[in-house]
Amino acid sequence: MKSKALVTGAALLALCATAFAPLCVQAKEYILTGVKPNRLVLIDPAKRAITRIYTIPGGGSPAGIVTSPDGKTAYVTTNHTGSLVGIDLDSGKEVFHADFSDGDFSDVSSGALRVRSFYGLEISPDGKELFVSESPVRLLRDEYKVEDTRIAVYRTDGGLAAEPVRLLPLPRRTTNIMMSTDGTKLYANSWDLYTLDPKDGKVLKVDKILNWDRKNFAPAGVFNVWNQFEQAHMFVTPYYTARTDPGSGNPPTPRTGLLTLDLKTGDIHMNEFEDFSAIMFSSVLSPVHRNEVYSTFKTLTKSDIEKNILIKRVTLPRPYYCINISADGREVYVAGAGNDIGVYSTGTLKRIGEIKMPGGADMAGAWIRMVERP
Amino acid sequence: MKHLKPINKKAEHIERSAEEGKVEEAQVMQVVAGCTSVFDPGWEVDPFGGVAALCQPVEADLYGCADTCWWPAQVPDTINSYPDWNTAAPSAERDWRKLQTVFPKK
Repeated sequence: MKSKALVTGAALLALCATAFAPLCVQAKEYILTGVKPNRLVLIDPAKRAITRIYTIPGGGSPAGIVTSPDGKTAYVTTNHTGSLVGIDLDSGKEVFHADFSDGDFSDVSSGALRVRSFYGLEISPDGKELFVSESPVRLLRDEYKVEDTRIAVYRTDGGLAAEPVRLLPLPRRTTNIMMSTDGTKLYANSWDLYTLDPKDGKVLKVDKILNWDRKNFAPAGVFNVWNQFEQAHMFVTPYYTARTDPGSGNPPTPRTGLLTLDLKTGDIHMNEFEDFSAIMFSSVLSPVHRNEVYSTFKTLTKSDIEKNILIKRVTLPRPYYCINISADGREVYVAGAGNDIGVYSTGTLKRIGEIKMPGGADMAGAWIRMVERP
Repeated sequence: MKHLKPINKKAEHIERSAEEGKVEEAQVMQVVAGCTSVFDPGWEVDPFGGVAALCQPVEADLYGCADTCWWPAQVPDTINSYPDWNTAAPSAERDWRKLQTVFPKK
């Protein structure tokens, strides 16, 4: 996808040198994130400045964020995990809205279905479909009946009262859902990593994580809810395990590793790179130096997934849940939780910039995405 | 589990479920009925047995956790029961005095 983008970019540049020049507007890289109370923030990272703030209709806070391939529309889970809203980033208007729940909640005998979406949100590479993970519960008169977890698929042209065009079965405990770059596979990050058919949800493959049968190692634990792989098309997440063989210590020696899922090839690797020494919430791969991974929480960690070593770690001034990286691989942006984005050099891990959120508001669990826009 | 001992009924139930081979049912339940259905020990202690690896200040982590029921016992359920609990306090570090105790609705 990256090489395709480069070729397309080169073709555009060639076109812009001709009589079509007036029609050409070069795409620019932006950061898109969310803050309380229910706003999206578009940021020019080069200027370290906010370009535009969008108010999302309704209550709650932004959580998951995906953008259309042309960078014109952002789709956001909001309304206390109960809705998906699409915002036109040019006009600022709401262009898509889906409420997940269904039924009459004022009538306790109606058996209304309360549906919440926790974390899983993805858009197809052609920009036509949205995939949302859902946890439904039916509110009956004398019991709450837990229904099966699922993926609701919406068409992006579904309008302001969008209904799912299909529902796919989804393993419980899934957090991230990611799509292959060719749109033929959907990946679900749960206790194990599931490869699903996006047409019907059929399980095509299961790669074991927690249920791995690796001798002398405890079950691997993965916690990750942030999709931030658009630059390198590689899903990377920290995991934690422990050596259990005799002599490894009591309690057993904990180890930190990185799981990588190549969204182009489907290749999955899990390798530890250090004895556990810092909590890392989420990670991003450099699109330029594809052995370098940057991970964040209370520290910023640079590690090498070819040599499986820690390169460098620095302390952050506050906790940051999520992280993304510039297309040229020179800067990483740590975000989430509090009210600023920290800009760090990938070469030195020095803090080289900061972007304050509007009104000092918290980002909380909102994702940080990179988007190219005209 | 030899380093952990249950101190309340929910934790005892989880331990009993583990002994009966029903770990999967007891270990994780996604939020379907409200925050109180969540078992999450919170962040009272870090993996090293101390507090240095926890979020500091605690306000930095408040909404990222509370908005998705990670602190089901400590803060109101903003997903289902008290959606407006923190609406007037967009910055936890600055506005925490506006965060009030909630009471069951009549």
